[in-house]
Order: sequence, then C-alpha cells, then structure tokens
Amino acid sequence: METIIEIDHLHKSYGKVAAVQDLSFRVREGELFAFLGVNGAGKSTTIHILCGQLPKDSGRVFICGRNLETSLDEIKRSLGVVFQGSVLDKELSVRDNLKSRAALYGISGRAFEARLDALAQLLEFGELLKRPVGRLSGGQRRRIDIARALLHQPKILILDEPTTGLDPQTRSILWKVVGQLRKQEQLTVFLTTHYMEEAADADDVVILDHGKIAAEGTPLSLKNTYTADYITLYGVQEQQVQELGRPYEALRDGYRVAVPNTAAATELIVQHPALFRDYEITKGRMDDVFLAVTGKQLPGGAEK
Amino acid sequence: MIGLNTLIGRNVKLYFKDKGMFLTSLITPVILLVLYATFLRNVYVDSFRSALDAAGVSVPEALINGFVGGQLVSSLLAVSCVTVAFCSNLLMVQDKSSGARHDLTIAPVKPAVLALGYYLASLISALVIALIAVAMCLVYLGFTGWYLSAGDVAGLIGGVVLLVLFGTALSSCIVFPLSTQGQASAVGTIVSSGYGFVCGAYMPISSFSAGLQRVMSFLPGTYGTGILRNCAMEGSFAEMRRLGFPEEVVQSIRDSVDCNVYFYGTRVGLPAMYLILAGSILALIGLYVLLNSRTKKGA
Repeated sequence: METIIEIDHLHKSYGKVAAVQDLSFRVREGELFAFLGVNGAGKSTTIHILCGQLPKDSGRVFICGRNLETSLDEIKRSLGVVFQGSVLDKELSVRDNLKSRAALYGISGRAFEARLDALAQLLEFGELLKRPVGRLSGGQRRRIDIARALLHQPKILILDEPTTGLDPQTRSILWKVVGQLRKQEQLTVFLTTHYMEEAADADDVVILDHGKIAAEGTPLSLKNTYTADYITLYGVQEQQVQELGRPYEALRDGYRVAVPNTAAATELIVQHPALFRDYEITKGRMDDVFLAVTGKQLPGGAEK
Repeated sequence: MIGLNTLIGRNVKLYFKDKGMFLTSLITPVILLVLYATFLRNVYVDSFRSALDAAGVSVPEALINGFVGGQLVSSLLAVSCVTVAFCSNLLMVQDKSSGARHDLTIAPVKPAVLALGYYLASLISALVIALIAVAMCLVYLGFTGWYLSAGDVAGLIGGVVLLVLFGTALSSCIVFPLSTQGQASAVGTIVSSGYGFVCGAYMPISSFSAGLQRVMSFLPGTYGTGILRNCAMEGSFAEMRRLGFPEEVVQSIRDSVDCNVYFYGTRVGLPAMYLILAGSILALIGLYVLLNSRTKKGA
C-alpha cells in the first residue's frame, strides 16, 4: 500500500503551550488509522493542520503526494471530515444542507441528485431529506454529517470522535458503511476515538501524549509490547489457581490469570494440563495499552 | 466562482429562517416609527410651528405634517438601513460560533467567495427589510401629509439602497473579526444606540457644538442621512416656496434640519453627497476584501 498521509517533524504551539511537538508518522492508503490521546493531547490540532484550518509552525505535511503548503485546494478535495459535533445548519433541511455543501465542490444539478440518492441509500436517510437538521435525533444527524463528508467522494475520511454519544444502531451503520467504502473504494480512514474497541480494529495506531507520539504500531504489536496476555480458567478452585504462582483475579464464574505472553501461557498449560480443561487465552485490551502508555484512562470506557 | 450563488442562497435562507434574526431586523423600523410618531412627532411639530409663528408666517396643517413626516421618515430610514445591515451580517459570527464556518472552509472554496457570499446575502436580506420599511414610511406619509413627487420617491429608494450598501460594507468590516455571539450582541447594541446620533438622525447636526459638527462632517453616514432628508422633504420645501416663503427662510429651515450639510463652511450639494457615500462604500468593500485576503491560511 502507498503512503497517503506523510507528516514529518510537525510542530505547533499556542503561545508558550506546545500543542504538537516533532510529530512524524505515515498513513497508508486504504487503512484504518487510529489516532488516540486524551483531550488536549494534540489530536484536534493535528487534524486542523491536515485540513488546512490551522497554520503549522514547522514541519512538512504531504497528503496524496501533495504538499499542504502549495496544494491546499487539491488536498481539500481529497479530504472528507466528520467533526466531533454536527456543524450543519440546523434551520435548513437535510437536502438544502447537502446541496449547499456539494456546490462548494462544484457538484450541482444531476450530479448532485445522483450522489444524494447514492448516499441516502448507503446511509439510510432517504426519509429525512425534507426535515430540518435541528429536528433530527443525534444518530440521524450523524448519518447526515457522514453523508456531507462523503459528498465529493474523498480519498481520506477523517472521523473526529464520530461515535461519541451515539446509539448502538447508528454506530453499527457507521462502521458498516466505513467498512464497505474501505473495501470498495480503498477509502483511507483517519480516526480519533475514545472507544477502544474501535481502535482495536485499526490497521495502525498512534497514541499521542502531550503533543508527542507515546506509542505506535498495530493493535497486536501494541498489545504484545504494553500488556500481558490473560488465561481465563473455568470450573476450577481458587486454591488450584493459586498453585500456578501467577497474579490472578476472580471473575463471577472463573479466574483470570495474567501471563507475560502467549508463549508463557502455553508453557503454563503444558505444566498443568489437568487444570486446563475449560479455558480461554486473550490478549490485553487496547485500553490497557493506552493506560500503560499514557498513565491515563480514556473517558470512552473499556474495550468490550 | 464555484458555489457563490449557493452560498448566497444558503445565507439568505438562514437569515429568513432564523425567526429571531429576521423579526429583530423587521421590528427595528416598526419600533422606531412608532416611537418617532408617538414621542418625537409632537416635539418636531411644536418646534416647527413656533419657528413659523416667530417669523409671522402661517402654513396649512397638512404642510406641517408633511414636513415633520418627511423629517421623521428620513431619520428612521437613515438609522434602519445601517442597523438592519448589522443584524443581517450577524450570520458571519453565528457561523463561527456554531462551527459551520469550519465546514465551509474545509471545502476548496476561496476566501473571497465566502466573503462575497456573506456580503451579498446580507445586502439582499437588509434590502428586503429596508424596502419594507420604505413602504411603511410612504404609507405613513400618505396618511399624515404627502408632498413627494415620483422623483422624490425614486430618490428616497435610491438613497436607501445606497445606505444599505454602506451599512452592509461597514458591518462586514466591523463584524469580520468577531467570533462569539456575546461580542456580536455588544457591537449590535453599541451600533443601534449610537449610530442614530452620529449620523444626525436623532438630533439635527446643527444643534451640536461646532467641534462635533466638524467631526460629523467627516462621517459618511451624515451624508447618507442628508440624501434621505433631501428626498423626503424636498416636496415640502417646494410647497413652501409656492406659498411664497422667501428663499432665505427656506434655506434657514433646510440648515436647521440638515438638508444642507456643510464641510468646513462649504455647503455639500446633493450630487457630492451621493459621491461621498458611493466612495465610502467602495473604500469599505476594499477594506473588507483586504481583511479577507489577509486571513491566515493553513500550512
């Protein structure tokens, strides 16, 4: 896969506060890239710079092979952004909102109608077209936000905490659509989220802390590096678990034993075959990774 | 210019769909007309009548009403055109505080197109309200005393259009750096309470001190009020001349109600007033374009 976003030594300060410090990373075409960090870590600043909304202090940003400094308009055509909160005009209908935004990309008339039909089918909002955006539920509004971001068929979709506060049905529609677009159109997704189960599905993860990269890699490599594996044992006595000589915690119907890695788990099973009749081995969770890396917990809750 | 028409359409639609913004704008001229007619009309009538009595002249009641009506109407329109333009331009601030501005600038739209979209939409919205106000004023004059010719009405409408252009350009420059509703309402309050004084609408310029008169002669709004005064009251002056008023008396009355505006002692004619106002509009639009082109871009 080719690199679609390339950031080198990016710096941005607000007065004496360094929001982004020497940030460098790559995003490959078609991947789901998770950009994590607590509020104030520098995520939004980086996104605003990527979108040309904020000037950087120094560093280089290339998107789709184009330099942000010289090709901002072309770059804007390849970006679709779903903001944290809905920024559509609440007084206007869904159709009027999408029509006015599409016109900014030169999409009007039949081309707009065709695109609107396709998006309405994809995101299931055909019956909402005449309703003012301000009268939609949070989930319905989110679907329109996504439609707006996809109007001009961008190559990169930036999702800035897109599922915060959404009902499970809308979250499921959102991820279904994103998955479909990634598969069919090689859409690259740049995601910031507080929900760790969403980050766990990413191809690549960068964790920011105080404007710097604290950790990066695939979810698996991060889990292997920053968390332990767990063996959950069922149908055993606590005394038997204690004999394993490993830290554990009691669950409602079993015990969770921490092991450094999968090899150590295998070794334990081989040593105590009688104990391992009903068990499962799981990797550490992404929120454990986040906690280990930053020492902080994201407010979105634990990975399920 | 990709998207300009749609942006104008969006902005105008938002203005008229926002009941608060639209009704506030519409109600301003209505409130001013009611306040003027209720409180100021009698003061103007008494003052005009006592001046005529002192000069030993008597005129028909209809002419007094027509004269005072013209004075009220020109004052009202002079203030409304600018304050309404400020109201309609508040969408620019609203877009910043709601985040919609981010959504617009995320698209490859030129800052000049965005700026022009706001300016032209505010102009259209303010013109609609101002022309409704003109219609209300003409109806009011029809009831109280009508001395306007077709040319006067056309001049009045032309003056209103120019003042709206001026008000929109002025408000565009002033509103441009604002980013919160609090700042916007503070500026709105200052403008709506202060503009009437500095343009000579609430009180005749001749009643101010010489220093203040000189300062006001540098403000383009003064000439905007002067244009409307001339158009709304010319018929009454013509009637006075027809009734045999000496020219010096007519000129003295014109001086007292700011139909004659002076710049360092020289009377500014009506064509010069139009030129000053038109020049100010162009200068303000130029400033607005400059402000927008200096907006920080990404990268």
